[in-house]
Amino acid sequence: MYLDAGSNNLINLEMSSVAKAVPAFEKKRVFDKWKYWQPSQISHHGKICCEIAREWITATDFSELNGDCLYTGPRWLRQRFKWGASAFPIFWCEAVRRDTLDCGALAAISHEVFRVRNVKTYRVQVVQKFSEVAISQWTNSWNEGNEPLPWVNDDLIYHEGCAIETANRQLKVWDASAGWWLDPKPASGYGALLAIRVSGNNLPIGKILKWGKYNLQALEWREIF
Amino acid sequence: MREQVKSETFKGSNKNKGSMKIYISGLYSGTNPQPGVGIARSLRTAFPGAKLIGVEYSNRCSGIHWKDFDDIWLQRPWEEINLTTHAEEIRKVLDSGALWISSIDLEIMWFARVFPDGHPNLLTPAAAALEQIAKPAISAHEGLPVKIPTFVTTEISDWDLHAFCRQHDWKVWLKGPYYEAVRAGNWMEFEERRRILSKAWATEKLFLQTHVSGYEESIALSAYRGKLLDCVRMRKRDLTELSKTWAGDISEVEEDFLRPLREIIRKLDWTGGAELEMVRDADNQLWLLEINPRFPAWIHGSTITGRNMPAILVEGATGVRQQISPVLAEEFTRVVMEIPVRSEYPLSPLPEPLGGEIGHSLKHPSGLIQFASRLHKTDIFNEEITEENGKTFFNAPKVPASFIDDLDSFDLHEMQTPASLFLENTASGNFRSASELVKELSSDELNVTNAYSIKTNPDERLIKLALDSGFLAETISILEVKKAIQIGFKPEQLILNGPGKWWRQEILPEGKFYSIFCDSIEELEQVLEKLENGKTRTNFLGVRLRTPNVRSRFGIPIDTPEVFEKLIEAVRRIPKKYKFAVHFHMASSNVGVGHWWHLFESMLRWCNSIEALTGRLIEILDIGGGWFPEDLQKDSAENFKKAIALIPEFLPNVRRIISEPGKALAQPTMAVAMQILELRNSAETVTEAVVDGSIAELPMYFFFPHRILYQNAENGSWKSLSRGKTRLLGRLCMEHDIVASNVELPENAQVGDILVFCDAGAYDRSMSYVFGRG
Repeated sequence: MYLDAGSNNLINLEMSSVAKAVPAFEKKRVFDKWKYWQPSQISHHGKICCEIAREWITATDFSELNGDCLYTGPRWLRQRFKWGASAFPIFWCEAVRRDTLDCGALAAISHEVFRVRNVKTYRVQVVQKFSEVAISQWTNSWNEGNEPLPWVNDDLIYHEGCAIETANRQLKVWDASAGWWLDPKPASGYGALLAIRVSGNNLPIGKILKWGKYNLQALEWREIF
Repeated sequence: MREQVKSETFKGSNKNKGSMKIYISGLYSGTNPQPGVGIARSLRTAFPGAKLIGVEYSNRCSGIHWKDFDDIWLQRPWEEINLTTHAEEIRKVLDSGALWISSIDLEIMWFARVFPDGHPNLLTPAAAALEQIAKPAISAHEGLPVKIPTFVTTEISDWDLHAFCRQHDWKVWLKGPYYEAVRAGNWMEFEERRRILSKAWATEKLFLQTHVSGYEESIALSAYRGKLLDCVRMRKRDLTELSKTWAGDISEVEEDFLRPLREIIRKLDWTGGAELEMVRDADNQLWLLEINPRFPAWIHGSTITGRNMPAILVEGATGVRQQISPVLAEEFTRVVMEIPVRSEYPLSPLPEPLGGEIGHSLKHPSGLIQFASRLHKTDIFNEEITEENGKTFFNAPKVPASFIDDLDSFDLHEMQTPASLFLENTASGNFRSASELVKELSSDELNVTNAYSIKTNPDERLIKLALDSGFLAETISILEVKKAIQIGFKPEQLILNGPGKWWRQEILPEGKFYSIFCDSIEELEQVLEKLENGKTRTNFLGVRLRTPNVRSRFGIPIDTPEVFEKLIEAVRRIPKKYKFAVHFHMASSNVGVGHWWHLFESMLRWCNSIEALTGRLIEILDIGGGWFPEDLQKDSAENFKKAIALIPEFLPNVRRIISEPGKALAQPTMAVAMQILELRNSAETVTEAVVDGSIAELPMYFFFPHRILYQNAENGSWKSLSRGKTRLLGRLCMEHDIVASNVELPENAQVGDILVFCDAGAYDRSMSYVFGRG
């Protein structure tokens, strides 16, 4: 989940000025730490090496669909790649040869395969609640020095997925790391989704999308409760 | 939703909670449980003072030990119970004012017969309502926003059942009349599972239904005298190995579903619990699998969320107010727990394992299967199903008229049997149709050509027909090349394919091949060397692809980026003087028709990528099908037109499509005549007949059923054998030499009569072998 790629693409706002603009009494929100993070990207060398890799992913995806509906989640990706740390920037030709990919890379690849399927697709960033035990495990397994992970904040984590738009502007949110669709229901406790943000190059600012009972405004974080 | 229940509709002595007596049957609590225990837990929450009596038909059903039952009414198993006496006792119970909630589908069906006018205290649906929810058609579903998965009865001919499986990509479930569903991924599996299910449920009346991929969800409801009292939606969140609910979440039923559901319940005059089992596919479409005439086994999961369906049913029937169930959560899950055994029902010993078998055979301990068998003898299970979504089937397969014309030209009684029969008119008709089809599909921009795969049946008459019909020939060895040339093909009309195509290369003829397709990257390198050294020549050089997610040993497996990259590099190295081609072959009869077309489109995408990444244009596409004749003939022109329309979208430079219809052409062109050697009778029925043919002449018997014609010895007329109970045993002294099962011989069949096994012109012929001939 470490988003070096994301941080490369950070909107380089002058954080101090933003911070100064936030009144001291404003309620702290679960997504504050990652508010300006952008979704991870898979980079392209601009050469045939990356083009072969990208074509291989998207053509394999169609083969793996087995004739099912184009809205079917590409769970095969998770069978091919284990979830784990990825170094960014990561290029297509590297990504397809990795044993492990993080949520950002898996989400970026899923987004690409939906796009090639001609399904309307967006990037999704979420904040989820886990536990101290889970955070400790991830901290230990993701870096040897036990440095705090930038995608972790106490028992909250930053996570990425992708979304597809089906009939009537309804969204389905694909968790590419888990291989399941996220449930648009408020929850608390282990694994609960607390905030979500939908973005995408093709998504006009202000567009409203429906996710279960929630109206999500494009490019805006939304707390789920 | 929850309806306000009017008080006092109930006539009986159960007017207050303290004296209320409720019988609950169906307490099996294994991994595929009945809902009795869940109903008892829910009713105990709502009516703490009520007397709950658990009814079971086996002391092996562990639910009898559940603490919420005040008493257990243990009956003898269904296999031996006196149904008349039992019915009288139940009537007395109901007349005394007690309520009865059944959790057993078969018992509910039996009640519908025992109490044709119902009973106010019997909280189960009536016969008319049950008829409307009968599987698989579920006629009551009209109005609901659901679809019914395609189905067909297994009472039709094996020929048609095989076609159904192919059409649905072998993603089918074989289902029992009341319970049980098993996957059948190929013909052998289907035959074996049908045999087991038919024997278990004492009926041939099973059905095949297509699989729907998606997420399972249910609606559980409670209704009394046509009034929907309450209902909830449950999504399965964890499953057992049998796909039964282990955990779920409960939510409201949306109004667009609720409105028609309320109307259906009214029309059915439904009383009791029910469950609508559904699958929601990726496109958000709901598919209704069945409506169970009882509460689901997870019903207490609903009570945990504050929606006590059994309680509202009792309240609706009696007017006695329930104690509202607290909302503990929106989700529920199961755990495994040990509970004390009631001392009055000590555990029975385990039955002895059958000799040589593994396990103790404890399925359906109350004898439900035997109960089904008893009920089958009544008239309530004799519904005929001969349609699949409006298409009518027959239990004897239809045979083309050309078969009969051809067969009439033989004097079979003068022939030595078993004899292979070449159906000349059928063969020439098939090749003619195939030629006409490619002419129709060809245009100025795109030529479509047939190729005959010699290995399918190397009979010279068929190869000659292919030559005369303008086909190319596909060969897999130099010996096949030689044979094709001997019959009149020129090298430039030959396609060389397969993993061992250079076998016997010492007899490689002079000349330039039409095309060579390489089965591996290594072979591509070798062939390039041969071409450069002048050891062979070809107009087109290509590769055979094995796309991901396909079980095959042939072609270049592009399922890893490493191999794909190697392929790209190898294709880029092919000198421009060789025109590039791609071959794709997959047996549609194995993978299914729909899946074949998906693989075809998938292959086009791969080809598109190869073109883009190599800069080499693909000029020829060679597609082989392993088609079943009916699948190719059925709308073949339309399907091919669609396919050809798709090709320019992905591969605008393709100038020629080579179609290899394979067994679609050859299979109907030959038949095997056999003579009946012996008829074996049992209880006035012919159960087995020995014939002088065998699996040596019909080696594909295990993969698909053959249509069988019987010739009337007196007048020479032909009859297609329909489904029956006779097995045709081959002459070989081999256990698996059974050439047909489930056929019906005519009453006047005699030793010496002729049977003709059709559809034996492809691999049955080319792979037949000499066995047991001394």
